[in-house]
Amino acid sequence: MKIKELIKRDPGFQYVIDNMEFMSGAGRRRMLETDFMTQADALEAEWKRLDVVDRTIRTRGSSRPYIDLRHCLMQLHDLQGTLAALSVHTPLNEVELFEIKNLAHLAGKARTALAELGLDGVLPMPDLDEVFAMLDPDRTGVVNFYIYDTYDPRLAPLRRELKALQEHDGDAARIGALLAEQDDIQQEVCSLLSDMLARYSQPLATALEQMAYTDFLLAKATLGQQWNLTRPRLDDHVCYRQLFNPRLRDRNEKAGLRYQPVDISIGSGVTLVTGANMAGKTVLLKSIGTAQLMVQCGMYAPALWAETMVFDDVVASIGDEQNEMNGLSSYASEIIKISDILRRSRSEMLLVLVDEPARTTNPVEGKALVQALISLMETATSVTLITTHYGQLGSRCRRLRVKGFVEGMADVPLTPQNINRFIDYSLTEDQSDNVPHEALRIASILGCDEQLIALAQENINH
Amino acid sequence: MPFVNDILRHRSLSIVGLEKNTGKTVCLNYILHRMNELGIHVGVTSIGVDGEQVDSVFATAKPEITLYEGTHFITSEQHYLRRQLVSSLEAVDSRRTALGPLVTARVLLRGKVLLSGAATTGVLRQQIEQLDSMGVRLSIVDGALSRLSLASPTVTDAMILATGAAVSANLKQLVAKTKFLFDLINIEEVDPALREPLNNIESGIWAVDDDGVAHDLGIASAFLIGQAEGDLLRFGHRFFASGAVSDRLLRTLAQKGKDITLIARDFTKLFITPEALSDFRRRGGRLQVLQRSRLLAVTLNPTSPQGFLLDSRRACDTLAEALQMPVYDVKKI
Repeated sequence: MKIKELIKRDPGFQYVIDNMEFMSGAGRRRMLETDFMTQADALEAEWKRLDVVDRTIRTRGSSRPYIDLRHCLMQLHDLQGTLAALSVHTPLNEVELFEIKNLAHLAGKARTALAELGLDGVLPMPDLDEVFAMLDPDRTGVVNFYIYDTYDPRLAPLRRELKALQEHDGDAARIGALLAEQDDIQQEVCSLLSDMLARYSQPLATALEQMAYTDFLLAKATLGQQWNLTRPRLDDHVCYRQLFNPRLRDRNEKAGLRYQPVDISIGSGVTLVTGANMAGKTVLLKSIGTAQLMVQCGMYAPALWAETMVFDDVVASIGDEQNEMNGLSSYASEIIKISDILRRSRSEMLLVLVDEPARTTNPVEGKALVQALISLMETATSVTLITTHYGQLGSRCRRLRVKGFVEGMADVPLTPQNINRFIDYSLTEDQSDNVPHEALRIASILGCDEQLIALAQENINH
Repeated sequence: MPFVNDILRHRSLSIVGLEKNTGKTVCLNYILHRMNELGIHVGVTSIGVDGEQVDSVFATAKPEITLYEGTHFITSEQHYLRRQLVSSLEAVDSRRTALGPLVTARVLLRGKVLLSGAATTGVLRQQIEQLDSMGVRLSIVDGALSRLSLASPTVTDAMILATGAAVSANLKQLVAKTKFLFDLINIEEVDPALREPLNNIESGIWAVDDDGVAHDLGIASAFLIGQAEGDLLRFGHRFFASGAVSDRLLRTLAQKGKDITLIARDFTKLFITPEALSDFRRRGGRLQVLQRSRLLAVTLNPTSPQGFLLDSRRACDTLAEALQMPVYDVKKI
């Protein structure tokens, strides 16, 4: 699975990607093509490179070679198509040859800058001096390009004659003939050069990809610094201190609302998360999902401290993605998703995030379904996090409860608009099989019809 | 030719034709020729795709643009590869057009070329800056007036307007049409303090209050003005239309109240008729633009693509009288 597919699955991850700043289209393309990594050593290697780049930006972010490197990346054109054509000996035209010369020039400059920054070990760049020399027969050293007289002995006399005719408004037919002849020679030269350059198509492609990758690493490191992301450690559990959801945090900050990061630690088997409405259970699942996608795509984690493991995939059934497009009810699409998760968890190591399963059907069968899901996932190797409002599930799995609504937590009168300031989003271990009963209280704070609440309370009392 | 000296007082110039076949290219070639004689380093580009060897509407032969040694030019890859001159590539843009990326090159040996260029005003402005940075003394834009083109020639400091028999074979109509466009080109510029903030607004129709603060009226375009909700005058009598201005917009605003000021981006966004404009003005309406170029001269092509020929002397004199500005026959310059 590549980043370009993952961002369609998770808007929180899409938000992360949208906040990365690329200097080149090639860098952005390289990022989108990046795989969700499922090998621990590949991830460690990626973080190691990111760490080196991160330290370089911190210590030499305003140095000349760093500015030069950024400048090279900004001028980079994505020549994938041209290089593919070159590799199969397709003759390139003058504009394409100019682009190759420019790439060789930029790669040379980037190579120097990377060496000066001590990044040449992490980001080795092929030497393309021979390519540049081939496209700079007069040794001008500049990136300008045309079919120089030097390329073919017929060109200089032809152009001399052309010049004399043009300057004195000479015979138009002769000018036309000379231009046509020049065209033929230029095309011959282009074909010849393309043939000679074809054997460099691999190092040229490597240079392009390395520069694109450099851009991606710089974007990752810069975002990491802006957001205070942390390098994760690989372990046999998932443990975050001060985990945050970048999208929600930024949205809250913009709206002047408080955002509270949370600590959480989960291991294999099932962990149930309970808590009142509005207590942030769904956000918690989304935050963990987004963090895992970031981590396994080789980024740092959105937390103060992160320990995690390598999963084959992150799978989620989160309620607000009702699939109206294919005409399924929310219950139907949820059941299909959960069946798929169960099937995959038999052979794959998954991070499973299920938000309030079976909440849209009757509570008797709903509860039975949740109990069944818990016992099946308990036996799988996956790490499963399930939120629920159902109590008395009779399972022995671990339970975490969001502390939730705390009266008097903020020093202001409570209103539906500031209710977020009265919620403690932190998690606490819960030994009981009960769930909080705060639905009516929260409905009342939200200004719900008093008669409705009174009647509901009466029903409970009976 | 007097307007050459006028041109040299500016850093950038656009040549705009009222219609196709009004002699825009002849005028451009004349200026390029004179600049070469004077040893002025020029850069040339175009708006959108132009410079076809044969005019696509009437299939008449169209003069190509002749560039001299040292001139910088910007065109598309496809047109570059068909050039009839020797030139050295200096830059290739990363954005692609239908005719490949735009390329910048310097002429080594004079000859002819087909020009194509930026599709948006932003790109056009960047290109003029790029030419500037390459040491160009005067950037010339082969302009187009078209609803299809988003790029506006008004980013240049100065402008030359080309008109001619292609606009109308009837001299009276030709004068009226040219005079109307001439008036639009000369619409007053907005208070400089408003230019920058309004320029950044990308879409919709906005109200501009007495303190110069713009308020979004939630009207996506001039064509949706009829569906506007609420009192349009709640922020005052001044409006900014970020896109096209239509007759309907002028009429709707004039109906809402007297003494309305409507600010348009530039004259190329005014798709209005003389009647609607005079109605608007009769009710105290005032038009302003964010940006205008100084009109240096008007040229006239007495020949229409169908072969009709106007009396050049009479046409130039009548037009000069109406515009109070010298008018030159392109065939005689």
